[in-house]
Amino acid sequence: MDLLVKTLIAGGLGLAIGLWSADSALRASRGAEGTRIGAWSTEAKAGTPEADPYTRATIERSGEIPLAPGEGLQLVARVDDSGAALNARCAYRVGRKMPAARFWTLGVVDRRGFPIPNPAQRLVFRSSEILREGDGGFTIAVSASAHPGNWLPIGADEPFYLALRLYDTPFSATAWAIDKDALPHVVKESCR
Amino acid sequence: MTVGAAARMRRGLLDVATILVGAALTAGLVHIVAILIIPLYASNDAFARLSQLGPTNRTILLPEAGAPDARLFPYRDPAVAAAFCRYDLSDGPVRVKAPIARYEFSSLSFHTRRGDIFYALTDRAATQGALEALVVTDKQLRTISAHDSEDEAPRELRVVSATSQGFVMMRSFSQEPSLLPEAEERVRGLTCHAEPGAK
Repeated sequence: MDLLVKTLIAGGLGLAIGLWSADSALRASRGAEGTRIGAWSTEAKAGTPEADPYTRATIERSGEIPLAPGEGLQLVARVDDSGAALNARCAYRVGRKMPAARFWTLGVVDRRGFPIPNPAQRLVFRSSEILREGDGGFTIAVSASAHPGNWLPIGADEPFYLALRLYDTPFSATAWAIDKDALPHVVKESCR
Repeated sequence: MTVGAAARMRRGLLDVATILVGAALTAGLVHIVAILIIPLYASNDAFARLSQLGPTNRTILLPEAGAPDARLFPYRDPAVAAAFCRYDLSDGPVRVKAPIARYEFSSLSFHTRRGDIFYALTDRAATQGALEALVVTDKQLRTISAHDSEDEAPRELRVVSATSQGFVMMRSFSQEPSLLPEAEERVRGLTCHAEPGAK
C-alpha cells in the first residue's frame, strides 16, 4: 500500500478517535481529579488556576461559574451510598448530618446541572428552612411522589443528580478531609 | 497457499498494524491537544455568556436559577441571588463596591477572562457595612503603590487581575424562598466604576 494512503487512513482514524474520546471524557465526568466521599464528589479546585485540564475544559464548555474556595464548596451526588446511579423511579432518604457550614442547600438537578421544575415549586432545601428532629438531625425525602416532612421532588422521569452547596465552610480548601459520615447519606428506599 | 500469497498476506497484516499504531498515536495527541485547547478557545464560556447580557461596568442581575431563561449557567443555586459586572482595566483600575446586610451571607468573587477566580471575600470581611476592592493590573498596581505614603499601609484592598478583562460576581443567600427578592435587591447594590487616575 502507498505510504500516503496509509498515513491518511491513520491520521483520519486518529483524529476521529481522539476527538471522540476527548468529547466523551468531558461528558462522562467532571474532572479527572475530583474527590469522592461516599456518594458525593467534588472538584474543590474548579475555577482556580490549579484545576486539572479536564475540569477546566468541562467548566469552559458548560458555562458554569464555580464557587470560590473562600465562598463555599459544592458537592454533587450522581449515585447513592451503594454506588448505584440515582434513578427518578426510586425514592431516596438523605440525611442526617452536614459538615460545618454557615448555610447549606440541597437541590435536585438534571444531568446538565439545571434545577428540574416541579408542581410543588420546591427546587432546593435550605439549612435555614428545614424541619429538624430533636437532636438537630434531619431527613430529606427525595422522590417523585409527595412525602410528608422535608420533601424534595424529582420533577421529571429522567436521570438526576443531587447538588449540595456549603457556604462559608472551613472545608472549602480541604474537601478531601471531610469524613464520609459527616456528609448526608443517600439511601435508596424503594423503587416503582 | 503459495509462497507468494503468504508473503502478500504478511505484508497486508503489517500494513494494518502500521495504520493502527499510527492511528493510536494520532488519537492520543489529538485527545490531549483538544482538552488543553478548549479553555483557550473560550468561545462559549461563562465570560462569553455574560457578555451577551450587557455592557462592561454595568451591574446585571442573573435570572432566578429556576427560571426558564436561566439556562445559560448550570449549577446555580436557586436559593442564592447573583449579579455580576464585567470589567475592562485597559481604561484604568475599576472600583468595586457592594453594600451588605448584617447576618446575611453575601460574597464577592473575582474572575479573570479565562475563568480563574483570583480573589473572593464574604460579608465577614466587610468594613462599615460594605465590601470594597480596587481591581488593577500588575502595572497599575505598581503605579498606584509608587504614590502610597510610606508611613501608612494602604487602607484599600487591591486585587490584581492577570487579564485586563474579567468579571466580578456577587452572591447573596436567601434564608427562605420568600426572601429571595430581598437577596436580589442586595446583589443589585453591586457597583463597578472606572477609577480615574492611574492607567
